[in-house]
Amino acid sequence: MVVAFVRLKVRLTVNGLRGQPWRAALFIVGVLLGGSFAVAGYAIFAIPGLLDDAPTAGMLLTLGGAAIVLGWLFLPLVFFGVDESLDPARFALLPLGRGTLIRGMFVASLAGVPALATLLATTGMVGTAVRLGGFLAGTVELVGVVLGLLLCTAVSRAVTSAFATALRSRRARDLATVLLAVVAALLGPIQLLALAGAQHADWDQIAAVARLIAWTPLGAPYSMGLDIVAGQVWAVPIKLVIVLATIGGLLWWWSATLERAMLGTASSSRSSSAVRRGTPVSQLVLPLLPTTRFGALASREARYWWRETRRRASLITFTVVGVFLPVVLAVTSGGASGMLVFVGALAAVGLVNQFGYEGSAYATNVTAGVPGRVELHSRVAGYSLYVLPLLIAIAAVVGAVSGRQAAIPSLVGTLVAAYGTGLAVVLPISVRGAYALPDTSNPFALSSGGGLAKGLMSFGGLFAAIVGTVPMQVTTYLLGDVWLWIGLPVGVAYGTGAYVLGSRLAGDLLDLRMPELLAAVTPNR
Amino acid sequence: MSLRGLVKRFDRKIAVAGLDLDVPAGSFYGLLGPNGAGKTTTLSMAVGLLRPDAGRATVLGYDVWIDPAAAKRLFGVLPDGVRMFDRLSGAELLAYHGLLRGMDAATVDQRSRELLEVLELGTANRTLVVDYSAGMKKKIGLACALLHGPRLLVLDEPFEAVDPVSAALIRDILQRYVTGGGTVVVSSHVMEVVERLCSHVAILAGGAIRLQGTLASVRGERALEDVFVQVVGGRIATGSELAWL
Repeated sequence: MVVAFVRLKVRLTVNGLRGQPWRAALFIVGVLLGGSFAVAGYAIFAIPGLLDDAPTAGMLLTLGGAAIVLGWLFLPLVFFGVDESLDPARFALLPLGRGTLIRGMFVASLAGVPALATLLATTGMVGTAVRLGGFLAGTVELVGVVLGLLLCTAVSRAVTSAFATALRSRRARDLATVLLAVVAALLGPIQLLALAGAQHADWDQIAAVARLIAWTPLGAPYSMGLDIVAGQVWAVPIKLVIVLATIGGLLWWWSATLERAMLGTASSSRSSSAVRRGTPVSQLVLPLLPTTRFGALASREARYWWRETRRRASLITFTVVGVFLPVVLAVTSGGASGMLVFVGALAAVGLVNQFGYEGSAYATNVTAGVPGRVELHSRVAGYSLYVLPLLIAIAAVVGAVSGRQAAIPSLVGTLVAAYGTGLAVVLPISVRGAYALPDTSNPFALSSGGGLAKGLMSFGGLFAAIVGTVPMQVTTYLLGDVWLWIGLPVGVAYGTGAYVLGSRLAGDLLDLRMPELLAAVTPNR
Repeated sequence: MSLRGLVKRFDRKIAVAGLDLDVPAGSFYGLLGPNGAGKTTTLSMAVGLLRPDAGRATVLGYDVWIDPAAAKRLFGVLPDGVRMFDRLSGAELLAYHGLLRGMDAATVDQRSRELLEVLELGTANRTLVVDYSAGMKKKIGLACALLHGPRLLVLDEPFEAVDPVSAALIRDILQRYVTGGGTVVVSSHVMEVVERLCSHVAILAGGAIRLQGTLASVRGERALEDVFVQVVGGRIATGSELAWL
């Protein structure tokens, strides 16, 4: 039974790549990246064993393992989304017990590049355990590594599934916002700890932290073999219980949310059939926007960023990450302008699959013959209604927190420049590399296998955008205090210039490819 | 509308193989075909949603693929299996379509209200289109296609999943539209509807037109359904296979 799920997953992945050289190339890049992660991880985790250094092994294996688990927890939320090729709703009509379903989907989610890469990387720990403590320690560590992998996948499936369920109903969106804020807030203490640790390089303290983490589900699976090395055989069964109980609890939580997911969206309660005043046009077009084609497109886009779950999820995630990261950096190290470039570019990356969000509804614009540039300008305008105020707020908060209120205008300049450059890179990608999202309301769902490959597109866009702002960053550095005065106008001009270039290129590209783009974003039925 | 030698291949499967079709102005044209015959593919290529591998599609003298802007102004489309911007309310969706077609706001308002009233969708209803029933979705889709007063309507399966009352209303509107000088192309596999409405029919199977002409010339003395089944070459009786039924 379980084997059938795995074969289904592999078959879906292969079919998703067939006849799609562009996707196949992305998939191969993903495999290569996963492979290099595996090799590098293996090497790092195997080094303490080769050096015969037990204390370092204790720190490295525990903290490294914990970092991997945290990565599995956060990366799907922030970047990749979950591979929903095995959408639970599709199994709703089959006579499958919930246990079978969970087991099948769980094992199937192990059959992917990220899981294999993680497994390979962490087997380096087994090597270390064998060298330090012999065969028994190695065996125990192997058990721990396998359990750790199960823990990683269980964590990512359970949390994203629960989060998606929470965002599904409109009423719960406030709850979800709070949840995300809490999740992001957890990043803070960890970052502070890591930074403080790195600055003071106090190995005793780090070792103490590692000892503590070794008793949490994060580090427990990866520190088992070392307990044998240290002669603490009694610790192994306790840690086994900790890990197994955590995995069991996560799977139980997942199956509970899965049940709701399988019932689909029919339950979403919309009681707002209230009567609204105004003419149809005034209902659609936002105040201050013109009642033209551009106004209609921009207003529709702005409403969609709020009304559609997937877009709202991406907007909320960006808000939390965008506010939180620079503030933490400003508090800990005083300077955050590098991080601001990242945040500005990240804002633009929100549009990387903008056509995928609406899917085949884009046919409306194709039959109306909307020119490519108008289409893109209006989409950027609709999105910017949310993003620009947010960027200004981020600059204000960062300036206030770091105690340099005078720098706020130049910070806005930096953010806008990064945003504009990001758009210049992202808009052509959104036309060229659009892909269909499945017709589910799970905001993290991606269609077919190869979620890693699609996430790479976002990463590529982000990286290119940051590279694109290098000339301006160099200028900032050279000018010093003068930048405080000219930062705002120069930054805005830089961003606008980049945006104009990028949107022209992308608009012309779109004019040539409208039907192809429509085909690319239409989900296979 | 005139289609010449349209070809569309998906991977190795040929969906439409060199299709020719002439729709005379002022006709009510029914495009018949079994599932998978290529009806949606053909209509998608005719209205500029799917690029043909070969062939031409012209609407009232304008080539859809050479001068799309001019051609697209002249027709309205109700696609099948394509989502609308369904997270807008009905009124918002109509306003969106109207402004997208470059109409001025006053005209959009006036026509939208009339359409919403006639189609019984409610002018002040805030329900999002995503929460509409299937019949209401078809009606709002039809309203969107009619809004800019096109001279040609291309409707893909307009009566699918529509209740009899709404279907009667849609039929009435379409007949009035044709009487007023408009041209309608509908695809369907429901014979009764086509037989009742259309002045011309074409039967499509395996990606090519098998038979076309006025309803009378295609049908002759027989029922349209018999002609259809014979042309398409389907089996109409089962043998001994399903004995366990």
